[in-house]
Amino acid sequence: MMKHKEHALNSLKGMGDEVLEKILLEQVPSLKIPSRGTGNIIYNEEKRYFELGDRKGTRSLGNVKQIKKMAQMMCVGNFCKELVNIQKTATMREMYYVSEGWDVGFDNQQESNNITEDIEVTLGVSRENLGLLPEEDGAAVYGDITLRDEDVEFNALRMGKSGYSIPPTVDDVEFVDSNVERIIAVETMGMFHRLVQEKAYDRFNTLIVGLKGQAARATRRFIRRASDELNVPVYICNDGDPWGFHIGMVIISGSAKLAHVNHDLATPDAKFLGVTASDIMNYDLPTDKLKDIDVARLKELSADPRYRGKFWQSEIKKMLKLGRKAEQQSFSKYGLEYIVDEYFPAKIGAIEGSPIE
Amino acid sequence: MERDTTELFEEFKELTASEFFKRNKQMLGFSGKIRSLTIVFHELITNSLDACEEAGILPDISIELKRLGKDHYLLKHADNGPGIPEDFITKVYCQMFAGSKFRNIQSRGQQGLGCSGCVLLSQMTTGQPVKIRSRYRDGDNLKGVEMDVKLDVKKNTGIILDRKEFETDRTGSGIEIEFKDVSYSMSEQGAYEYIRRTVIGNPHARIVFKDPTGRKYTFERATEQIPPLPKEVLPHPKGVTADDIIDLCKTTNKKRFKNLLMDSLSRVSSKKIKELEEATGIDMNKRPKSITWKEAEQVVQQFDQMKFMAPPTSGLKPIGDEQIEKGINEILLPEFSTAITRKPQAYRGGVSFIIEAGIAYGGKAGRLVGQQKKAEIMRFANRVPLTFDQGSCAITEALKSIDWRRYGVRNLDDAPISVFVNIISTNVPYLSTGKQSVAPEEEIVREIRQATMKIARKLEKYIRTKKAAKNEEMRAKIFEDLVPVVIKQSALLAEKDVPEYDKIMDEVTHKAKIMDMKHRLKQPEIEPMQILITEDPKTRMKTEYEEYEDYDEVVEDDE
Repeated sequence: MMKHKEHALNSLKGMGDEVLEKILLEQVPSLKIPSRGTGNIIYNEEKRYFELGDRKGTRSLGNVKQIKKMAQMMCVGNFCKELVNIQKTATMREMYYVSEGWDVGFDNQQESNNITEDIEVTLGVSRENLGLLPEEDGAAVYGDITLRDEDVEFNALRMGKSGYSIPPTVDDVEFVDSNVERIIAVETMGMFHRLVQEKAYDRFNTLIVGLKGQAARATRRFIRRASDELNVPVYICNDGDPWGFHIGMVIISGSAKLAHVNHDLATPDAKFLGVTASDIMNYDLPTDKLKDIDVARLKELSADPRYRGKFWQSEIKKMLKLGRKAEQQSFSKYGLEYIVDEYFPAKIGAIEGSPIE
Repeated sequence: MERDTTELFEEFKELTASEFFKRNKQMLGFSGKIRSLTIVFHELITNSLDACEEAGILPDISIELKRLGKDHYLLKHADNGPGIPEDFITKVYCQMFAGSKFRNIQSRGQQGLGCSGCVLLSQMTTGQPVKIRSRYRDGDNLKGVEMDVKLDVKKNTGIILDRKEFETDRTGSGIEIEFKDVSYSMSEQGAYEYIRRTVIGNPHARIVFKDPTGRKYTFERATEQIPPLPKEVLPHPKGVTADDIIDLCKTTNKKRFKNLLMDSLSRVSSKKIKELEEATGIDMNKRPKSITWKEAEQVVQQFDQMKFMAPPTSGLKPIGDEQIEKGINEILLPEFSTAITRKPQAYRGGVSFIIEAGIAYGGKAGRLVGQQKKAEIMRFANRVPLTFDQGSCAITEALKSIDWRRYGVRNLDDAPISVFVNIISTNVPYLSTGKQSVAPEEEIVREIRQATMKIARKLEKYIRTKKAAKNEEMRAKIFEDLVPVVIKQSALLAEKDVPEYDKIMDEVTHKAKIMDMKHRLKQPEIEPMQILITEDPKTRMKTEYEEYEDYDEVVEDDE
C-alpha cells in the first residue's frame, strides 16, 4: 500500500480514538477543526499562495447544532476508511447517495461536500487520498512523458490526438521518465489541438496541457508534481481577459476555497505567458470591448493579494485603459501557425534568455 | 282640501309608555331577529341573577328553547330565586317603568325595559298570553301560583286571564313565553354565546340550557361564592348635571342649599362650599327650592373647575381576579389563564370605575372559525356580556391598540386566545341606548390597556416557557438520536469496542431540567406565577450557541 494511503488510514483511526478517549474519561468529546471562514484564509507572501491560519473551531458532542456534523464526520470517516482499505474510489455524488442508508444522512450534497472538506482540513489529508473523487476528469496532456498507473506503463505521446487524460487519482500515478524542458498549459482545447498539430511538443520539447477552462484539482496537482519532479518551467497561455488571468492565477497561487490543500496544488513558479494587455497592443490583436462585468472583475483582481506584483498591476491597468480584451485564437489573424511559429518562441525565449527551438 | 286645526288635534292622543315602545320596539333593543332573542335571554337571566344575589341564593337557572315554526319559538325559563309575591307579578312582567328610580349604584341594568319588554315583544309578535309561575315564601309557608297574563298596552297594566295555586317545596320564578320574528343562532351575537359568556362573568351561576335541537348544555358553577351586593354611593360633583341638581332641590327636605349639596353629593366639604360661593356669588344658605336653572348651571360649571377628591369606590364590587380565573377555567379549559382586577379609577374626574381583565390561552379559548382558531374578545359591563356593536367599543379599541407581538402573540386575530374585559361602574358610559358598547373615554381606554398588558406579560412568559420546554425536548431528542451514532461510528473508526456512555448522555441531554419544566407547565392555573423561570431561556440558549462557528459559510471563489 502506498505511503499516503497508510497515512490516511492512520489519521482516520486517530479521529475515532480521540472521541473514544474522552468518553472513557467521562468527558464530553469534541474535535478541533481548522476554521475555513474568510477570516482564517491568509495569503502567504513568502510561499505565494493562500493557506489557512491558526484559528480553530470546536465541534462538540454537547452542542445541539454541532453533534449532527460530528456524527456525519464519523460516518464519512468510516466510508472513506472502507474505500481506502478495498482500494476503490467513489465520487462525492456517489457518497451522497450511499449516505441515505446511514444513521445520519445529509440534506443535500453541499452538506456532504462541506463535511468532506472538514475531514480534509482536520486530518490534513486530501479527499483524493481518502478515496473521494470529483466528478470530472482532469486536463489533457500531450508530450513525451512516461507514466505508470498501477501496472500499466504508457507515454503521453502515444495516447491519441487528445492526449492523456489526467485522472482524479493523480497521486497514484508514478512519473517514470521524461526529458521535456518545459510545460505549456493552454486554456482551451482548441489551442491544445493547434499546438499538437503544429508539433509544438517536438519543436519546443514541451508537455502540452489543455486546461479545459478552470483547472480541476487533479490538473493543478499534476502541474505541481510535474513542476517539482521534472524540475522544468511551467507557462500558461489563456485568453486575454480577467477570466483568463484568473485561471492562470489559480494554478499559480491556488484558490481561497481550497486554502487547506494549496500546499499540494499551487505552482507558485508557473509563469503567465499571455494573452496580456501588452500582447494585445504589441501584436495588434483583434479585440472585443470589455463588458461591465469584465471591468468589475479586473478591479477585483487588482485588489487581490495574489495580483500584488508589478507585472500584474501594470497589465490590469493597461487592459482597463485599453478597454479591450482578446482571445488566444485571435493570433489566427496572422495565420493558423503564427502563434506557434512566432508568439511562443518570442515570449518564452525572452523569459528563458535563449532561443527555444 | 285644508283640514281644520281642531280636527287635526283630535288625532293627537297621549301615548302610554307601553304604546310608545310598541311603536318603537328597537328602543328596547329588539332590532333584528338574532338580537331580539339575545336581548330576551339577557333580560330574563339578569332578572334571575339579581334576584338570587339579593336573596343570597346561588343562582340555578334553566332555559329551554323550542322551535314551533319558522322564526317562531317557545321559551321556558325558570330560576331558584326568592320568587315574586303574587301582587307584584303583573308589575314585574306587565308594567313599564315599574319601580325604577334614579340610584347611583352598580347594577347589571336592563337593555330595555326588563321582563315587561319581553312580554310586550311576545304579545306584539304572537298575540299569545304568557304563563308565569312563582314560588315564594309567604310568612312561614311556601306558596305557588301560576298565572296566564296579558299586557294592557293602553293602560300599561297586566290582565290576569287564568290563575291557579299549587303546592311547592322551594322558591323560584319561571315564565313560558312565545315569540315570532326571532331566530336562534350559534354566532357570536347569538343566545348560546350570550349564556356562555354570562357564566364566565358570573362564575357563581349554574345555567342549564336546552337548545331547539334538544341538545342540553350544562354550565356548572365554578365557585360557591355569592358576590357581595354593590352599595349605593353618593354622586360625585363632577358627575352631576344641572338637571340632577334641580331634581335634588325639588325632592329634598333640607333647608339650606349648602346642606343639600354636602349631604347629597360625595366629597363636598364646607371649604368647597365656600369656594363655590365665592366663585359663583350664589347664596349657599338659600332654600333649595328657590334655586333656578341658571344657578344650577353655574354650580355645575364651577364644579368642573374645582378640584375634588376622587369619588368613593366602596360601592363597586368587582368579580375579582380569582373568580374570573375560575370562570374562565371552568368554561374554556385553557392551557393557561390569568386575570387581574385593577384598583378603582375615575373617568371625567368624577365617575369611578374598575377594570378587570383575563386571558385564556389554548384549550377551548378563542373561537373556531372553520379549521382555524381566532381570538375572541369577551366584553362585559358590570358582569353583563356585551355582544353587539363591538367595533366602536372602548374595550375593542384598547385591545386592538396593544402590540401583541411583544407578548408572544404574533397575530391576535389568529391566536387561540380569549380576552376577557369587564368594566365595573355605577355609570358605565354606553355609546348608545342599546347599551352594547362602552364609550372610548380616555381614562377607560388607558386603564383597559394597562390591565391587559399587565396580564399579557404573564401570557408571554407562559408561551416562552412552553417554547423553551419544547426546544429542550427537541434538543434532547437530537442528542438521544445522535450520541449513539457518534460513539458507535468512532469505535468502528478506531477499531475498538463501544464504551459505556450513559453518563455523557445524561450530561448532554439535561434530562432533569426538562422534566422539571414539563412539571411546571402542567399546572399553570393554580399559581401562574410559579411557571415563570428566573433564568431567561432566550439568553441562555444564545450563550450556548455563541461559541459555535458556522463552517458552512465558505468564501465563494473561483471554482
